[in-house]
Amino acid sequence: MKIGFEIHVQLKTESKLFCSCSTSYWTAEANTNVCPVCTGLPGAKPLPVNEEAIRKALMVALALGMEIEPEIVFLRKHYFYPDLPSGYQRTSTPLGRNGTLRNVRIRELHVEEDPGRYELREGLVDFNRSGVPLIEIVTEPDMTSIEEAEAFLRDLHLLLTYLDVILNPSIVFRVDANISLEGGERVEVKNINSIEGVRRALQYELLRQKRLLALGKKILRETRHWDEVRGVTVSLRTKETEEDYRYMPDPDIPPVEIPPELVEEVRRGLPELPWERVDRFVKEYHLDRTVAEALVRDKELGEFFEEKAKNIDPKFWGEFLSSRLKGELNYRNLSFSDVKGKSDEFFLIAKAWYDGKITKEVAVDLLRRYLDGKIEDLSSEIEESSVVEDVESIVREVVSELEDVVEDYKKGKKGAINRLVGEVMKRTKGRADARKVRELLEETLNSDSS
Amino acid sequence: MDLIERMKSGELLPSEHLEEILETIKEKEPILNAFITLDEEGARRQAKELDKHAGKDPRGRLFGVVIAIKDNIAVRGLRLTCASKMLENFVSPYDATVVERLRKEGAIIIGKTNMDEFACGSSGETSYFGPTRNPWDIQRVPGGSSSGSAVAVASGMSDLALGSDTGGSIRNPASFTGVFGFKPTYNLVSRYGLVDLAMSLDVIGPFSRDSEGIAVVMDIINGPDGRDAGVQRRLDFLSTYENFDPEGVKVGWGEGFLLGVEEPVRRRFERFLNVLDSLGAELFELKVPEMNKVWPLYYLIMYPEFASAMQRYDGLKYGFRGSGNSLDEVISSARGSAFGREVKRRIILGTYLSMEKYEKSFHELAIRLRRGLRYEVKKLFDSVDFLVSPTVPFLPFKLGERLDDPVKMYSADALTVLANLTGIPAINVPFGFEEGLPVGMQIIGRWFEDDRVVAMAKHLEGKG
Repeated sequence: MKIGFEIHVQLKTESKLFCSCSTSYWTAEANTNVCPVCTGLPGAKPLPVNEEAIRKALMVALALGMEIEPEIVFLRKHYFYPDLPSGYQRTSTPLGRNGTLRNVRIRELHVEEDPGRYELREGLVDFNRSGVPLIEIVTEPDMTSIEEAEAFLRDLHLLLTYLDVILNPSIVFRVDANISLEGGERVEVKNINSIEGVRRALQYELLRQKRLLALGKKILRETRHWDEVRGVTVSLRTKETEEDYRYMPDPDIPPVEIPPELVEEVRRGLPELPWERVDRFVKEYHLDRTVAEALVRDKELGEFFEEKAKNIDPKFWGEFLSSRLKGELNYRNLSFSDVKGKSDEFFLIAKAWYDGKITKEVAVDLLRRYLDGKIEDLSSEIEESSVVEDVESIVREVVSELEDVVEDYKKGKKGAINRLVGEVMKRTKGRADARKVRELLEETLNSDSS
Repeated sequence: MDLIERMKSGELLPSEHLEEILETIKEKEPILNAFITLDEEGARRQAKELDKHAGKDPRGRLFGVVIAIKDNIAVRGLRLTCASKMLENFVSPYDATVVERLRKEGAIIIGKTNMDEFACGSSGETSYFGPTRNPWDIQRVPGGSSSGSAVAVASGMSDLALGSDTGGSIRNPASFTGVFGFKPTYNLVSRYGLVDLAMSLDVIGPFSRDSEGIAVVMDIINGPDGRDAGVQRRLDFLSTYENFDPEGVKVGWGEGFLLGVEEPVRRRFERFLNVLDSLGAELFELKVPEMNKVWPLYYLIMYPEFASAMQRYDGLKYGFRGSGNSLDEVISSARGSAFGREVKRRIILGTYLSMEKYEKSFHELAIRLRRGLRYEVKKLFDSVDFLVSPTVPFLPFKLGERLDDPVKMYSADALTVLANLTGIPAINVPFGFEEGLPVGMQIIGRWFEDDRVVAMAKHLEGKG
């Protein structure tokens, strides 16, 4: 199986690609965030191309290790569709070529404008989105499993997050996926809007194509549409009816030069990339690579880690965040950004645990109750649950009071000690280390019998 | 321009001037059909507003001047039909940059002028709103595609007018109706608000009965506006217009410009060269590009760009509404019933030329030929300041005479397309009459020497 993607990402810029309308299309009432340019009214001309969009596209291309072209030309791609105001979409020649991510080769990256939105069922069009800058990232068909494809998209998403180029966090990607099986031709699936959707669409296609092959049928080259609601792909067109887009350089847009100075400036301004951060965390804080990766995978979590790392053993802290906290968050279906406002308290808990002020059990209990909103004053709770210093006197107390249990133990019922441990823990309200208690008990009981 | 001084001083109120013009329109428009939309009410309102300032604090270099706008240029609140059924009821919600600038200078917009549909034509006959007639002989065409603008100025139904020129659409009707018509350098005037014909060739330019009107309007409308990415320069037309001396300028001409030029026009052209000589210009006979070989290139470039520009008219968002059971049917029915024959011809040819399997051969050929032509013209301008030729190879022809013969119709553009293909400025100078019909001569200049072209035209004014 071979999988490749064409991935569209809306770029985080102030204004649209060829006019000064805002890019925050989703907050405005339908067809209010528009002007003559982005609705393609007769006579309207594109404004000079939005330089911020070119810069952001360049950031992505450089982060993917691409070779940058010295000039791009905007082409008109012609087709009729209700959401396309001028009957053509403006799309550039490649800005970058030959990149890689996760051993997947990236063929090219170019800039284009988003069309409006067409609500097929109601027959309505909203042009608020029309003209929002997009990049399209085209990969080679280098992925060989659905898991690999999904992992690729997650890494790409992470990279885009680090670059801070994503316009609308609720729709990061629009993906066209192509998939081909041994013995079949390439099938392209359009209109997938999330990583989750990509997985479902690919799973569906894999099954469909396998079934066809098993029946001895041919898989012909075609373009299919992903129906998110029904969870199926539907044929749009086969090769014979492939559209001719009549690409033509847009005479209204002068070629856009990408001078080497600009490329260098953008390259120098690139933030630390996820894989660079992993390497640094391993080197600087001596974290296990898996821990570092887990921290980096959630940008804000990684940044929080670093913020506090000087005040605690980084290795302990890293593990606390990446396994304890992450585990609890996953269980509650939360992400770190959901609880970011409470993050100082996480540090208090970890620190108290690390310093031996509270036990692991208490730490976990506090963390859980805190996440569930059941703790009002964390500091005083930590104080109240701090480890009982004088466990020995309580051990002595229990041994003298529960004589019959002690008898049982001495008669050889070694299991009886568990009841004694339980009792001590109960009396310390869990603020003692159970293993230490057991050791102490064994010591006391064995010395008694001598 | 005397007129403007009289209005500024309050001697003649803008309203009074406007009423004179409206009288002329009332008399002539029913015959000539130069307008698609007349905005009497709006014009009167504008004039009344100006009246208040006359004799006191008149502002604007076109104070009270009446101007007509070709109906492919956007004027806020007025229809923008492009003389097509497709846009019959489309009202523009915005002003073109040129219109905005003219308004600021106190010009009164009288209405939108008739034209060939989507500027596709050289005779003014392909309009959905019926043909415009030549005021010198109403059996004859006024030229096109800016037919109504030329006729409005020639017949006194407007002081000035704006048109657009893609292959000769300003100069051709200016020549046929005996007025000045100027095609500026590509990228000197913002095209924001001009409905596309062929984007790499289109320019907006003025019509006037005198050369001074051309200089003033050009001075106002040229220069960057930030809304047309290509426009970067501005020229000062007025000082050149005042100070230019034709003595000793070098003027080139050549037989290549005279191929297919009919006898009466050729006669006029010889006279034109004599007048130039008498002005002290040095004349050079050069080997110039052969026009009958140049103009096919125009079609190779224009058709695909036109087909692309016309994509937006799908009958879904605005304009003529199609009907049918599927998207394809709705779009086809709108385009099928709302576009005229010449428009359809050009869309079909343009679509064909830009299809993937032909695009490479035709497009690359066109680019190569265009580059070669540009180089050739550049070389010519190494030795001369101006090139001259007749504007149209023949006299205005009869209505209907060429409609069914596109090749014959297209040959009207033979001498004008050179300036569009290379982007250089060119003006039509009305130069007398033959057989009772106006004849125009063309002065062509170097890139961004538009001011000199207009100033040169001044010295030939009234010499025909």
